Amino acid sequence: MSLKVGDSIPQWVMPSVSPERMRTMAAILRDPNPLHWDRNAVDALPLGLGKRTINQGPLGLSYMINMLHAWAGPNCLRRIVMRFPQVVLDGEHVIARGTIRALREEDSVPLADCDIWLEHEDRGVLLEGTASVALPDQQN
Amino acid sequence: MSSKPIPAETDIMRLAGHQFPGGFYTVAHWENYLLTECTGAELLPNGMVHPVVLFHLPIIGADTSIAEMFALGQAESDLSIMIESYDWEILQPLREETRYRVNGGISSAERCKNAQGKLYDRIQFCFEVHTPEETLAARTTITWHYTRHTL
Repeated sequence: MSLKVGDSIPQWVMPSVSPERMRTMAAILRDPNPLHWDRNAVDALPLGLGKRTINQGPLGLSYMINMLHAWAGPNCLRRIVMRFPQVVLDGEHVIARGTIRALREEDSVPLADCDIWLEHEDRGVLLEGTASVALPDQQN
Repeated sequence: MSSKPIPAETDIMRLAGHQFPGGFYTVAHWENYLLTECTGAELLPNGMVHPVVLFHLPIIGADTSIAEMFALGQAESDLSIMIESYDWEILQPLREETRYRVNGGISSAERCKNAQGKLYDRIQFCFEVHTPEETLAARTTITWHYTRHTL
């Protein structure tokens, strides 16, 4: 893998965020928050989101992990820091994207520090953060 | 808008240092399967657990729950919590059917004001996940905003 700062990471697409997956996730997480499974609860908020459930933060984050795994391998992730400027709603088509911000070595392991984000065509950046990724030939 | 009174700032500040009981968590294959399916990915090889587990494994493993974390900060409702950030460090991949020991607590708690002048409480939770050999496998930090009279 020949990489340089500024390179783009191949995008990862979630064609349609699934409300059924949010329900499964709520059960696994033991998450009582109705925003993830009750469209009426979301509609009642003064946020103008309508009758759509809100994706769990970790699920949105996982799309970026999937992008990094597809790019650098299933054991590549060393650190991920994520902020959540906007919610992700059921039915949305979202795209995980990223670029390399720095290349370095730590304990003889080559790492890429990346800017990553989750994007919606109309609403822009929904999630944004950074990740440190071990490059493929150096993974455990 | 909630009619719940805003908790005293001193009650929020004294949450810093609170420790959860701690405990153990094992990710079963069925759980990893469903969890990974929710992310839209294929199962990872060799029993590796999808890193998305780093949200709930530390919480449940430390013998707390999302509901208790909401209650500790005197959340007005489940709907009033906003995520500031999640920070997950992975020192080694987590695997199915491995009994991880988890400890965690509240590392900071402070009252803040947003750009619109609305009060919120910023509470940060930190967890550590250890292998059966007592090696640190992962460290996570959850930072939530407990909004007050915003919704």
